[in-house]
Amino acid sequence: MKVFVDLGWYFKQEKWRYLTGIFILILVSALTLIPPYIIGVVVDGISAQALTQQQLLIWMTVLLAIGVLSYLLRYVWRILIFGASIKLARILRDKLYEHFTLMSGKFYQKKRTGDLMAHATNDIRAIEQTAGAGVLTLVDSLTMGSFVIITMALTISWELTLIALIPMPFMALMTSIYGSMLHKRFSRAQQAFSSLNDKVQESMSGIKVTKAHGYENEEVSSFKSQSNNVVRKNMAVAKVDALFDPTISLVVGMSFFLSIAFGAVYVVNEAITIGQLTSFTVYLGLLIWPMLAFGWFFNIVERGRASNDRVNNILKVPMDVKDSAQAASTVPQGNISFQIDRFSYDETEENLKDIHIELQEGNTLGVAGRTGSGKTTLVKALLRDFDIKDGDIYIGGKSIRSFEKNALLNAVAFVPQDHFLFSATIADNIAFGKPDASYKEIIEAARHAGIHADISRFTEGYETMVGERGVTLSGGQKQRISIARALLLNPQILILDDSLSAVDARTEEFILRNLKKIRQNKTTIITAHRLSAIMHADEIAVLDQGELTEKGTHNDLMHFESWYKTMYEAQQVEMKIEEGHGDE
Amino acid sequence: MNNKHKQLLHPLPQKEVFRRLLVYTGKEKKLIIAAMILLIGGTAADLAGPLIIQTFIDDYLAPRNFVQDALITLGVVYLLLYAGSAVMNYIQGYLFQKVALSIIQDIRVDIFAKVESLGLSFFDQFPTGGLISRITNDTEQVKELYITVLANFLQNIIFLIGIFAAMFYLNAALAAFALLILPLLLIVIYFYRKYSSIFYADMSEKLSQLNARLNESIQGMSVIQMFRQERRMSREFAVINQQHQDSWMKSMKLDGLLLRPAIDLISILALMLVLTYFGAASFTGPVEIGVVYAFVNYLDRFFEPVNQIMQRLSMFQQAMISAGRVFRLMDHNEPPPKQQPNAGYQIEKGNVEFKKVHFSYFENEMVLSDISFRIDKGEMLAIVGQTGSGKSSLINALMRFYPIREGNILIDGKEIQTIPFQEIRKNIGLVQQDAFLYAASIKDNIRLYNKNITEAEIFTAAKTVGADAFIQELDNGYDHVIGERGTTLSTGERQLLSFARTIAHNPKILILDEATASIDTETEAEIQDALKNARAGRTTIAIAHRLSTIKEADHIIVLEQGRIAEQGSHQQLISKKGIYEKMYHLQQGMNYIQK
Repeated sequence: MKVFVDLGWYFKQEKWRYLTGIFILILVSALTLIPPYIIGVVVDGISAQALTQQQLLIWMTVLLAIGVLSYLLRYVWRILIFGASIKLARILRDKLYEHFTLMSGKFYQKKRTGDLMAHATNDIRAIEQTAGAGVLTLVDSLTMGSFVIITMALTISWELTLIALIPMPFMALMTSIYGSMLHKRFSRAQQAFSSLNDKVQESMSGIKVTKAHGYENEEVSSFKSQSNNVVRKNMAVAKVDALFDPTISLVVGMSFFLSIAFGAVYVVNEAITIGQLTSFTVYLGLLIWPMLAFGWFFNIVERGRASNDRVNNILKVPMDVKDSAQAASTVPQGNISFQIDRFSYDETEENLKDIHIELQEGNTLGVAGRTGSGKTTLVKALLRDFDIKDGDIYIGGKSIRSFEKNALLNAVAFVPQDHFLFSATIADNIAFGKPDASYKEIIEAARHAGIHADISRFTEGYETMVGERGVTLSGGQKQRISIARALLLNPQILILDDSLSAVDARTEEFILRNLKKIRQNKTTIITAHRLSAIMHADEIAVLDQGELTEKGTHNDLMHFESWYKTMYEAQQVEMKIEEGHGDE
Repeated sequence: MNNKHKQLLHPLPQKEVFRRLLVYTGKEKKLIIAAMILLIGGTAADLAGPLIIQTFIDDYLAPRNFVQDALITLGVVYLLLYAGSAVMNYIQGYLFQKVALSIIQDIRVDIFAKVESLGLSFFDQFPTGGLISRITNDTEQVKELYITVLANFLQNIIFLIGIFAAMFYLNAALAAFALLILPLLLIVIYFYRKYSSIFYADMSEKLSQLNARLNESIQGMSVIQMFRQERRMSREFAVINQQHQDSWMKSMKLDGLLLRPAIDLISILALMLVLTYFGAASFTGPVEIGVVYAFVNYLDRFFEPVNQIMQRLSMFQQAMISAGRVFRLMDHNEPPPKQQPNAGYQIEKGNVEFKKVHFSYFENEMVLSDISFRIDKGEMLAIVGQTGSGKSSLINALMRFYPIREGNILIDGKEIQTIPFQEIRKNIGLVQQDAFLYAASIKDNIRLYNKNITEAEIFTAAKTVGADAFIQELDNGYDHVIGERGTTLSTGERQLLSFARTIAHNPKILILDEATASIDTETEAEIQDALKNARAGRTTIAIAHRLSTIKEADHIIVLEQGRIAEQGSHQQLISKKGIYEKMYHLQQGMNYIQK
């Protein structure tokens, strides 16, 4: 029931829809009571052979009118109540989406995509059910149930009603118990299915390993046993699922038996007529639904509450990085100064330590270091993906925290390591940060990123779709498109986070040359594992385990036995081998 | 994707799908018959209830004829029938689900086995995403299909037939009259089927768009935020969300117009029919009230099965399409290269020879031309060349993942076609460039399915390749379970693990596809040591990117556009003063790096 309180805001917002809907539901329930009454009257008339043609005609007309009216009303309440619940689903999904856009990298590291998706699909579905079917089952079971019982008691016999009702609560109870058993077993079956899914995923991705070792048969039998597990879990579901119908029919049969057996006594005693007994059994039939609904109601609400709590917990997660009240909305500009004493993501290890770098406006900073040395963390700190507590970063002498995050990001364009493209056209992807960009701008950015020629080769050119339903791009092509995406913004500060790793040496050189040309007087930060990408930088910083170990220009660093020098020379040789011929 | 693969995307005709689905029920014939008998028994018992009450009303209650024994018998029979029908219906309901699940198990195993049996060429070209969904999601839909048809349609149809039978038994004229509602029902069903399949398809399309957008946004959220497109993306999402709501509303309205409310209306019409019939009959003579009772009661129960069948129609149509996709894939024929039927040679030494080998994936694009070399047990061959020069194709040919076009590949002087597949797999070990690791323990990742590999052998293999040290540092050491796709390990560590895996399987021929991805100098040195240890007593072919590896080789091949540009020992190539010499020249003065 708590979930109805939690969803109170929505019921209030849509109170007219709900009130009208509920009113109609009650009206329909009341209408449903009339046909059995008519049956009773007509049966008695037939029984006594006292029925006249006119009477029959009137009763049939009433029946038809009730039928048509109920049809219309049933249609209307569905639109009102189900319509409202469907709308709630949309509102919640929008809310959740907007909330997702506010969450930082930390949030996405902790939550798995699959779980977040489940909140937006399954959980919202369960809440929608609560606001739709939940309301319906509650209203129907209460009104219809009480109407039918009252009618039976008042118009026929309250004693017989009590007797006939004895088995009914059993039905509500059992179906509710089955419902929650079913739910648990069903989740287990779902889990088994999702691990089967993982298994298939793994098998397909690792097909070469399987083939190389000739383990196809073993793989099939391993799949078989997993799939068997899915069958077993589903059988457990089936065991409960198959209980519903027989239980209902058994309980209803008992009720019928009791009412006929005892009803016969009343008929003999002339307390009721045979016609009334017939109506009575039809009323009993009408009670099946409210009883079932009552059982369902508890299951729906139980699931709805759990889902609503889960969704609310997500919505309650606060933003990691908030703008302070005095934050300026001006776009930062000027020299960048890293003054980081210490930073740690989770307090177990230091991810950045004692990093002090000055970067003149318009210069290029290269950051080198092995995987995990803190290169990405450093640039993410500049982007305020998280806040540094010990130390700060300054742009134009002002702390980056003194700007609105939006303003800060306005100054920056970032090319991430894991080149992510959206399922849209190439043009849309390049213009992602500036959707109203002209084709000319898009093509220019693509040219500078060295991807124009590749794009032109596709039959649909810039209108080629990317992603599952479109063309498959190589890692290098994706990287260059994401570089073009950043270049299009022509930002004050451009950050390339190891984003030249998948392009060949010649293309890398081409892109770097373009950068130099188009980014005069603008600041660029490049992190790279391949040092050729940063050797021309005005300043090179080498990180190791989050610490700044070497700093200087290429020439400075080549002057002594630095890590930089060792790596640089080794990579030079390998590049030549890679090219297969040492032509200079 | 070639034409053969495109065939996989075409829908299979419904008739054919139906036939194939039927074939699968063959294996479960006994269970199905048992369930059918129970179903008919249960339905009969269920429907006999109102008949007993009718007998009671007409023969005993109306004439006030109370014979105690007869009444008790009637009561007991009534209760027994209900209990019996409950038990029978439970068992048949369970059995039908069981049948559906075992059939789907068969289909799943069949399709998975089929996919596993396809040649590597298939996997190189057909997107994996589509494959996975066919094996899991589509078969899940087929499961629903069986459950719906067996457990729902069949049951409800039997129930409907039973009701008609009972009505005919009671009053044939009226029952025939009641058949008049059937055309009305069929019209409603026709329209519902027609429109619901359209609306349903639209709604599921919108839902999948919505989910795709959501999924993509979650994964690309950092990009969205970096480019400050949160508002635009929220707006675009809201549009899709609204479209989804609209199509959902449409379906809901259609359900409201043609589903329950419509069936309820028809049931009122049917009631009118029955009452009018008996009412009119009463004008001319007496009517058995019990029959009226039973008719009303049957009518009451007639419409629920109709509702249930209709609710599942749209799902049924979708599931048929899924089933078509599954059977298409099952029919796909793209086997790995054929071995000779009497292939039986056992590899002894592992000497490898290529004789004028030509290789191509498609007819006209030769990828390897005229490749000849020989490498014997204990020796190492290094293959050098730029991306696209044909290095991986050479491995594909030697692993016999693909057939060659011309020439011969000989192992121990025997043509590769004369060696059984298992023998090739057992004796040629491939260390892949992008090491694939399973979400399993380190031990299981090394051992894979080979139960004969002892723990001691696992440790030895790991030590041989120098993976032991970092494994020991993991939580639980060798029992450490690797996260999704081995992301917790570095590239170098992953390659070492893959190396250990190959060594543990003790191949006679070792193929190393060196990782191009950037590896720390330290890890690189470790891999060098690993290679040195692993080579002993084996034939080794290395696709080399690192100078240190190349220098170790007894024989070097320089590939250029699918042809051998130069080959020979290090010394020979140096004295040749060709490409290799130039390359080597560059390392002069840098030898200290290797030290």
